[in-house]
Parts: sequence; structure tokens; C-alpha cells
Amino acid sequence: MSTPEKSASRCWMAAKPPSPKLLGILAEGQWAKDLRGVKLDTRLSALRRENVDRPTVFVGTGTCGLGAGAAKTMAAIRGYLAAHKIEGDVVEVGCVGICSEEPIMDVQLPGRARVSFARVEEGKVAQILDAALSGAPPLDACLGQMRTPGAAPWEGVPLLEDHPFLAPQVRLVLRNSGIIDPTSIDEYIAWGGYSALIETLRNKTPDEVCDEVLASGLRGRGGGGFPTGRKWKFARAAKAPQKYLICNADEGDPGAFMDRAVCESDPHRLIEGIVLASYGIGASKSYIYIRAEYPLGVRQLELAMAQAKAYGFLGKNILDSGFDLDIVIKMGAGAFVCGEETALIHSIEGKRGMPRPRPPFPANEGLFGKPSIINNVETLANLPAVMSMGAQAFAAFGTAGSKGTKVFALSGMVSRTGLVEIPMGTSIRDIVFKIGGGAPGGRKCKAVQIGGPSGGCIPEPQMDLPTDYEEIKKFGAIMGSGGLVVMDEGTCMVDLAKFFMEFIQSESCGKCIPCREGTKRMLEILDSMTHNRRLENEEDTLLRFQGVMELERLANVIKDSSLCGLGQTAPNPVLATLKWFRNEYEAHVYDRTCPAGACKELVGAPCESGCPVGTEVWHYVALVARGEHQEAYRIIRQANPLPSACARVCNHPCEKSCRCGATGGDPIAIRTLKRFVVDHVDPVAFKVDVKPAGPKAKRVAVVGAGPAGLTAAHCLSVKGHRVTLLEKECKAGGMLVCAIPEYRLPRAVLEKEIAALLNENTELKLNTALGKDFTVDSLFEQGYDAVFLATGSHNSKRLGVPGEDAKGVMAGVEFLKSYNLRHEELGRGRVGIVGGGNAAIDAARVAMRQAAVTHVTVYYRRTEAEMPAYREEIDAARQEGIEIVELVTPVAVVEKGGVVRGLRLLRNELGAADASGRRSPVPVQGTQFEVQLDMLVAAISEEPSTDGLADLALSKWGSLRTNSESHITSRPGVFGGGDVVRGPNTVIDAISDGKNAAEMIDRYLTGKNMKRITRVKLPTVYVEPMPGEESDQTPGRAAAPHLPVEKRAKSFAEVELALAEASAQCEARRCLRCDLDFTQPL
Amino acid sequence: MNIIVNGEDLEAREGQTILQVARENGVFIPALCFHEKVGVAGRCRACLVEVEGMKGLQTSCSVPVKNGMTVRTRTPVVLEAQKLVIDLLLSTGTHDCLSCEKNGGCELQNAAYYLGIERPSISLPALAPSLDGTSAFVSVDRNKCIQCGRCVRGCQNSVVNNVLDFGYRGQHTGIIFDDDAPMGTSTCVQCGECVQMCPVGALTEKKALGKARRWETRVVRTTCPYCGVGCQLDVHVKGEDVVRVTGTEDGSPNRGSLCVKGRFGYDFMYSEDRLTTPLIRENGELRKASWDEALDLVAAKFKKIIAESGPDAIGGVSCARSTNEDSYSMQKLFRAVLKTNNIDHCART
Repeated sequence: MSTPEKSASRCWMAAKPPSPKLLGILAEGQWAKDLRGVKLDTRLSALRRENVDRPTVFVGTGTCGLGAGAAKTMAAIRGYLAAHKIEGDVVEVGCVGICSEEPIMDVQLPGRARVSFARVEEGKVAQILDAALSGAPPLDACLGQMRTPGAAPWEGVPLLEDHPFLAPQVRLVLRNSGIIDPTSIDEYIAWGGYSALIETLRNKTPDEVCDEVLASGLRGRGGGGFPTGRKWKFARAAKAPQKYLICNADEGDPGAFMDRAVCESDPHRLIEGIVLASYGIGASKSYIYIRAEYPLGVRQLELAMAQAKAYGFLGKNILDSGFDLDIVIKMGAGAFVCGEETALIHSIEGKRGMPRPRPPFPANEGLFGKPSIINNVETLANLPAVMSMGAQAFAAFGTAGSKGTKVFALSGMVSRTGLVEIPMGTSIRDIVFKIGGGAPGGRKCKAVQIGGPSGGCIPEPQMDLPTDYEEIKKFGAIMGSGGLVVMDEGTCMVDLAKFFMEFIQSESCGKCIPCREGTKRMLEILDSMTHNRRLENEEDTLLRFQGVMELERLANVIKDSSLCGLGQTAPNPVLATLKWFRNEYEAHVYDRTCPAGACKELVGAPCESGCPVGTEVWHYVALVARGEHQEAYRIIRQANPLPSACARVCNHPCEKSCRCGATGGDPIAIRTLKRFVVDHVDPVAFKVDVKPAGPKAKRVAVVGAGPAGLTAAHCLSVKGHRVTLLEKECKAGGMLVCAIPEYRLPRAVLEKEIAALLNENTELKLNTALGKDFTVDSLFEQGYDAVFLATGSHNSKRLGVPGEDAKGVMAGVEFLKSYNLRHEELGRGRVGIVGGGNAAIDAARVAMRQAAVTHVTVYYRRTEAEMPAYREEIDAARQEGIEIVELVTPVAVVEKGGVVRGLRLLRNELGAADASGRRSPVPVQGTQFEVQLDMLVAAISEEPSTDGLADLALSKWGSLRTNSESHITSRPGVFGGGDVVRGPNTVIDAISDGKNAAEMIDRYLTGKNMKRITRVKLPTVYVEPMPGEESDQTPGRAAAPHLPVEKRAKSFAEVELALAEASAQCEARRCLRCDLDFTQPL
Repeated sequence: MNIIVNGEDLEAREGQTILQVARENGVFIPALCFHEKVGVAGRCRACLVEVEGMKGLQTSCSVPVKNGMTVRTRTPVVLEAQKLVIDLLLSTGTHDCLSCEKNGGCELQNAAYYLGIERPSISLPALAPSLDGTSAFVSVDRNKCIQCGRCVRGCQNSVVNNVLDFGYRGQHTGIIFDDDAPMGTSTCVQCGECVQMCPVGALTEKKALGKARRWETRVVRTTCPYCGVGCQLDVHVKGEDVVRVTGTEDGSPNRGSLCVKGRFGYDFMYSEDRLTTPLIRENGELRKASWDEALDLVAAKFKKIIAESGPDAIGGVSCARSTNEDSYSMQKLFRAVLKTNNIDHCART
């Protein structure tokens, strides 16, 4: 891939001056009058708005802008100018392509560069204009400023062309979009428009035009990728008194909108392209077949045609060349199939839009039986560039087989959406991540759908695929018209396939049977996979199990036997997702689960299914909205024995699956609401029915009183088993008490919660260590019937660098334990922490609070964005004055006399992505530096505590191996769960293990089947929504109040506080109430 | 030229399609939407074959032959595709053959037989009945319709009545009359072209309902007696009874097309009101007479009139319901025997 003419980071090439010949002709008409007394250069420069003589405000009023509220913004701007009595111009421009930043407003003051502002909703107009007109544009709202020759740039405002969305682009087709006024032919001419046309008509024969286009390597941009010049030559060679050129603007792919943008934002480019193409093939009449859903595009094209006619670029004897051309706009009724060329021809002829077999090809027998060429909008809009820069310069962009640029419509789960024009050969990854900024909200990108329903999906690991017709085809997808829909981990691939099948089968014209009936059958099979079992009869079950195989059979035959492209490619979404995501299909069919949490009937409420312990989140959130706190607590406690702890330290996977967040907004602050509930209800208020342990009760030993052990002990005791909890440390709570500092989880709260879990069937023995005070064997000897091992991951990983054993170097967990369990303040002076997880940040914040500590610095090998610690913890640490040094690797501990004095580090840079999807750090040699430290805490990771487990099977990384369903270890009667099995993990996963293990131990003790049957839990209780729950008032996500930073210094008082009642209710009412899909009012 | 079909050399002519050559040579390829009269549609996808040198499967109805072309009609890929097509058609309609009028003459049934499909592999809920019996002569059962489009093309391109068309999209696509009116209230003139074109039992002659199985009838070719066009008819006869009339497809001038009278107006044959003897009016009353008596009377009156006023005082009108041969004899009688040109026919064109 090469990009000549493109100096670094310039997506807009310098404007070409209009052809003198063209200006000569125009000077005889209207232009001459306009030019009287004005120099031509001045006029052109004014048209290119290199300078304005009064403040000018530009608003992007393409359909995308209007959808985002540009019309209201415009009205507000006009109102502002009138109110402030400012003589200024308001210019409507098209779409610059950054749809996610709409409405976009540009301001240009006399003598200054034009500067763009993002997301200018009507309410922000006054504020931004106030600032901009006073010469101080608000930087946070600035997208960037345009390079404006002769005008003074704004200080501190980046160039628009350096915006990450635009910098990698090369804009040939979108050259003028969003810059010029699409209703002004003069502006188009001033930017070099119609110059290619006059040069071509004057200097080239039609055959030469065909040759030039062939040599440029331009291929059909509508999807097929057939060489444009070759197609033209067929029509050129056909002998007929009448030929037609048809412009296909029937953009029907879901997620494709580049043709619309060209028609709306730069219609003259399309007109010029059509005239050039018609001249090339010898057509005297041309049709623009455009969908009626593009009324603005139609209007702009009609206006542009009238202007072009008045200037002599259309009609009889164009520019004195003897060439005639008329263009007719034909509006389509929006059938997807009418994008297929033979169906499109039928539609123009006034017939039902249905394809016919080819041959004969339209180039020989097309519209009304005459030779016709059908080109896509983007193909035609490329022609002015091809003809003005020449085939060679055009072909310098792109790859060996795919020349020029391609416009993609980037949408879906991606941070920046919009129109992207990149040189062919750019990788999909660059488009999605560099230009689009990856999936929003830190979610993981899963795949992209390229080419609409006819295309295919490219999974994230394969995204290095270049945008090249052949490469993409080889991969099993198609370039298509340029729709690029990004999907993140919340997208279910079965659901996606279902969406496309639904689209295809409703858009099938009905002509041929495989497409008409076959796609319907495929949809039915997909439907059966995503339906809940309780609604299923035997036949449905059979259909579901046969599903995957039957789907493939149908798909392959439909592909082979359909009449047109629509049908032949109709099974692609299914085939592609089956190829790359077969496991998701299998999860749907066999496990009846939807891993992405998208298939409603298999998931129920996403929050509930996202919670490892299955808390009815929707239920208690709805109760909070109604002010029923007691009941809300009951719901939480029912699923989770440690609600107060989770309300403070849970990593809240429920919020990740919350629909509010999946649709671009912020998820409900579920953990914060839980905190509100637990603060309002005393845990002892929740009474559990404990089955009395009879004389024959079974005895269970639970080793480790962390979240997993406490949960298992509690659940088993409730069922009437006698449980002994054996804990190595002096306090129960595991990591909750050892590692998590008090300012996050006050001890009084934790102790109260643990106390509430113990009952007459449980006995807690502290300071009793496995391997030291007892063994697994001795437990069985003492008459225990089963053992649950939940010893956690307490062993800190060593740094593995010289000097590590010096005095003053501590492991993270040990440092935390020394304070949390024993209140020893070991930190002093300058404390360095190595690591980026929660333990590292906890250690840093604990150290900061100790009296003898002056500075705390965290050293992390990647960047802050990749830190596994919770975002809010990192932010709080920064607020408290903790420094974070990113991209460093420790190479040695500097010691003097066996005491730590400092740390030697190397700087890193980020390399390729590793298995976790994060880019791995690569040390840069020669960047070594040293820091002075008085203490060093190594908190890089923890390893499972497996002392005394030598007889049991361990995994290769040292964790206890258990059966994932039954939790049973290699020894009968011995079960395991929590961090000793998982390695360092979350509290909620440990609780989940404790619950599941307790269930399995109970089954083991009572001789029941130990196979887990996954059943989808659907909401069953109807909670009446509060009036006004669905009002338009959408306040942002509630944030919990925090103790002010000055009060936190050297204090272990709890930092995060509960929400006020009103804010909690307000937040709870933001809930979309996914549960209501399943429940009915009584 | 020659093409090779399934390894056999078949003679072919320029301009023919693979399907035409195969049919001429007795090679069966299921094809439901192709009909000689209305040509290629490429809709049904049943006639898919493999052609050497061409990518993917080809519809044999649309691919013109080239000398030396190698075609395979029975490879596993071809049969799999054909089977799916027929399977889908069978499963998405209500194709009950037992009492179907078309049983034995049904092209879908033939295709299923050829492919060995006993019953559809996809089981779907039964369709609600969708019978349109509103018109005088045609019974429409949309559940048997396979949307081959032959009726539509017949109506639009052959008889140019433009009543039938496709309506709706995708899986809901179906044939409609005018803007989806019942056939009886539509602008349909009941010529029955659609019935003639229908390969299955979706469009059938109401009058033939339940009269005879296809194999019980013999076909008698004749000329329509209604008018001077001379349409060729195939009269389907069971025993001595006419059960159905169809247009003769390989015969001029009508090539299978007929008008409502020619196709459906054959009841008069069995009318109780038909004359069986000559009648003579005497004193205002008609009485039965013998042929001799009647002819003698007519001859005597003709002679008298000619003698008194010349031959042009006589005129003759021949009835369309008589055969063309009768009408011919009639004009011969008037011109050659009675020496007058005053002879006419009620359907003079």
C-alpha cells in the first residue's frame, strides 16, 4: 500500500484549481456578471472559503446530522445571531463523516481558520458561540480546525485532519463532503469540480475514457468488484441506437449509508461521474435509481441537475462537445432486491422488481432491451478523481488487485461511527480500532460484519485482513457495498444470523423457491434454537437438535441453486457465523444458553443471567424504585449470603450485561443501588430457616473461611448438615478481611455479616491451618463425611529479579495482611508498588494511609488503560496522591547492606495483542533508569494456596483441579472451589462456587445425581412499574458520593458512601425493566 | 451440433436450450416454470444441471447449447439441489394427490417421482385452506400453487389480459387477480389460459371436478366450432362424455389458447333443448316432420322465390355452432347451387 501525494496525516489533498478552459466557458455566462470588478482568484478563494468577510457558521445537515438534532441546532444558531445582532452567515453543509459526533457545527471568523465543534445540541449553541466568537473556542468541544490557507490558525486547537477518525483516511470520493455547500455548483467548481469533465470531453474519445478507467483499476464499488472499464467496453462494443447508463443508488444493506452521503453532501460529484461514464459508453440517457427513503438526497440531486443543466454540463451539446445527456431520477420503493441489476432494470421499466437469469447481461440487453451499464454511486463518484488525477496516480492507491480507496460505513458497537474512506489494503483492524476506536466502554470487540446480509463476518483475531477484493473473498466474505458493522461481546452470533435471515426472507422477492422458502426454513431453525424450552413441544426439540446440520445443508443448497445474488449470498451470515462461532450455536442448542446474553428467551433478564449467583437484580432494582427496601434486601440475600460485602467490592458483572449499557448509554449503577439497600436494612432482619441437624446429620469440614467457604458452610448448614469451618488466619473472611482494606469494607459491617451466617449447625475454628494443624486424611479420620477446600490464593508471586530478598521488600498480600489483620504499619518513606491489579492499588492506598509513608508510586508494565484494577479504585488512588508510572518492567532491586534502596526499571512499549486481547509490553533496551525507594511491595499476582493438598491433582499452574460441574477433586468426598481452583479471582465467583459446591456436596451426601442441568431462570414475579418510569427524563448514571480527599488522608474511614434515597430511586427508575417481557400483571 | 448429456451424444440445434434438447431426446429434467409458449423464467430452480466449464449449477432452461457442451443432470450435487427445491415446494404447500384433479398430469408429482421423494422431509403446520371458488369456471387453490409464474406470464404475455400478477414479497409471494380481488369479481374473462398453463392442481377447471382421472380419458383433437378462427381443441373424453376441453398446444392458430366459449362452453352438446327432428310451422304452431318432408318444403319455396324474384331474393346465415365443414357446405350451396352471394355466418371475421 502506498499513499503518494499524501503528506503525513493529511486526509484531504490540496484543492486542484479549476481548469482554465472551464472558467473560460463559464465566464461567458453568469460567472462573467459575478466577476465584474472582482478578480477571478478572489472569487475562487471566497468560494473555497479561504477567507470570510463575516462570521460564518456551518452546520452538517445531512440525514445523520438532522437525526442528531441539527435542525434544532440551526434554529438556535439563527436565533443566537439575531439576538446578538451579529451579521453572519449560516451555511448548511453535508456530512463530514463522523456520525457519532453529530450535530457538528463549524465556525469561521474573518481571517481565522475554520474550526469544528462536536455534539452541538441546541442547548450548547449559545455557550460555544459565545466562546468561539470571542476568540476562545472551548477546547473540549473542538473536533479540530481545518487547514485554511492564508488564515490564522487557532492556538491549541488540533488540526481536524489529525483527528484519529480522519488521520488514516484518504478522501477522494468524500473530498468535499461536509466541507462545501452541496447546493452550490460554484463551490464545487471552485474546489476543482467539473474540470475533469471538460478536459475529458475536449481531449479524449470515448474509447480513451474506457481505456483510462480500465487502466486505473477501478472496480465496482457496489459489491461485485467487477472491473468498471471492462464492463464499459462490453456496452461500448454493443451496437445499438440507444444505450443507457444507470446509477444504482438503491442502497439497501443494513448498515450502509455511503451512497446517501454522496448524494446529500456532494451531488455534483455524482452528476459529473455520470456524465463521464455516459460519454465513455455512449449513452444519451441516464437514470439515477434512488430509494425514496432518501428524500434529501433526491432533493439535492434534483437541484444539482438543474444547476448543471444551466451551466451546460447536462442536456444537449454538453460544453460544445456534441455529446448529449439527460438524467432522469427514478425513485425506488425500497425493495432490497432492486439493488440487483436485473431487478433494478425491471423496476425502472415499471415492472415488479424481480431479477432474471443472466445472460443476457445488461451490457448487451438491459433497460428496455438496450445495452445498459449499471454503476454504483461510489463507483461513479470516483470517476472525477480518476479522470483528473489520471489512471496512474489513482492506481497508486491500494493493492495489486484493488485500486483506489473504499468508503466504509462504520457502525455498531464501536466508539466512533461514521463514513471512512481509506486506501484499499488498509486492514480491517485499523478501521475498527485506529479509526473507530474499538468497542466502547472497554468491551471486547468480537467480530465485524462486512458487506451487509450478503457478506460475512470476520472474527476479531482475523481482523488483520486487508481490504482487498480478493483477500476478503478468499476469506469467505465479500467487500460488499461497504457496510462494516462492529459487534462486541454482547452480540450473539446466532441472534445476528437470525437478524439477517429475517431481513433476507422478508426482502426476498419471492421469485425463486430456494430463497423464498429456504430462507424461511433457516429462520425457523434459528428461531427454534433461541426459544425457551418451556414453550417447546417434541417436534421443536427434534428440529432444534437437527438444526445445525439442517442449517448447513439448506445453506449450501440455497447458495448453489438461487437465481440472483441476493439468494445465492442469503445463507452467508449463517455459514460465516457457523464457521467461526460454532460453539455459540452449540451452546444454544445443547446447553440452552446464550453466551453473549442476547437471546432473550434463553437469558431472561440480562442482569440476572450476568450474575454468577443469579441474583434477581431487576427485581430488587424495581423494588428500590418503589421504595420497598426490606423486600429488596430479601431478594438480594436470597441469592447471595454476603450482600454487604458485595455491595462494596463486587466487580458487578451484572452491570456489564445491563441492556442500558449495551445500547450505548450507561448501565444502571447496580452495585451502588445494592449498597443503598444494604445500608438501609440490618442483615439480622433476614431470617433463614435452618433445618435442625439430627443425630444422623452428616458432617462436613470446610477449609478456609473466605467467601467461598463461608457461603458453602452456610448453605450446607441450612440444609441440616453439621459444618466445621477451619480458618488459618485469626479472623474469618478470607481475602475480604486479609486483602481488602477497611476504607473499602468496614470491619464492623463484615463482622456483622459473617456473624449472621453462622448458626447452631456451624462451628468456626480460627488459627487452624491445613497441612500444619490437620490434613485431609485426618478430617476423614475424625469422621467428616465430606471436605470442601476453599483455601484461596494467598501466595504472592515473586518478581524474579536480583535483590528481591532484601529487607523492605514485601509481597502484596503479606503487606495487606500485616495491616488488615494485625494493624502493623510497615510502610515508610517512599513506597514503591509493582503491579496493576486490585491488590496493587489496595496496597498503595493502604501504604498512603500509614503514618510513616511520604510517597507512594505504582509501577505497571502496560498502560493505565490495561490495568486489571477497577477503574474507580485507580481514580481514587490518583486523587489520594498516588503516582502511577506506566510501561515499566523492574529489572533489579537496588539494595545496600541487605536493605532496599531503590528499584531499577526498563521502559516498555506495547507490542502485539496476547491471548487476553491486551497488547503485551515489550521492554526497550537501553532505557534503564533507577528510582529511590524505602520500601517495595511486589503485588503482581497471587498463586493458589495448596499447602497440604499434595495428594490431590493440581493443574499445571498449581491450582486445585476439580470437575467443573460437580466441584469434586481427584479424591471422592473432597470438593474444591474459590480462588484455590480459579486462581486469584472475584468475590462473587467465589460465592458462586461456594453455593454450587454446597449443592453438590448435599447431593453427594444424600446420594443424588451430581450432574448439573442448566435451566434458564426467567423472571416470574410481576413488579408494577412506577408511573413515569419511561419518561423522557433521562438523568445520567448515579455516582455514589465519596468521602472528600482531604478527609481520607491517613484515615481508614469508608471512602464510598451510600446514595441518598432520592438519587437511588431516580437511578432505579432508569432501569429498562427487561423482566416485563416475561411477566404479566396479576 | 452435438452436446453430451450424461455421457451421451445428443443432437442439438442452434438457439435451443439444454432443457429443450434434453426433452427432445427423452432425457427427463424436472422443470416447473419453463413452458415453450412463455419461455424462460428461471424461477423454480428445479432444472439445475452441471455444465462443464461453467461455475456453479446452471438452469438448463436458460442456458443455450454450444457445440460439444458437456452437461450432467444426475450428479449428487444436482440431485441434492433438485431434491431440496422439490422438497421445499412439497412441504410449504398442501400437495395432497389423492383427489387432486391434476393427479397423473402434475409436473410437481412427476418431479417428486423422478427424485424419489416419498414425502417432504420438513414437517410444517398444516396450512389453512385457501380456496377461491368465486369465478364461473376456474377453481383456485393457492395452497397447491408453486409460484412458477406460468399462469402470470400466460395472462400477461400470451393472452394479454393482464389480470394475473404476483403480489406480496418473500415467503408471502403469491398470484393475485387485479389488486388481489377474488377471481370472480376481478376483470378476468375466464379464458382459462392460466388453467392451461398451470403445472399443478392450483388452477383447475371447475366443470371437470370429480369427473375423471387423467388416465381414464382419451383425447380427441378437433376444431372449435364457435367462430371462424378455427382454434384447435383437445377434447378429453371419458366413455362417451366430454369431461374437459384444453387448447392444442402444438397447433395453429391458437397454440393452446382458447376463449371462454371454446374452453368452457361445451354444455350445449348435452342440452335437452337440442332439435332432434326438423320442425314445420303450420298455422303458427311447430310440428315434427321428416327430413324428406322438410327438405322438399324448403326446396319448393326456394324455387318459387327464385322464379319470382331471382336468386338474390334469398339469403343464408350459417350458425357458428355448426361445424366449419357444415358452414363450408352451406356457402357452397348458396353460391354454386342457388347462385347468390347472400350468405353469411354469425361469427364472420
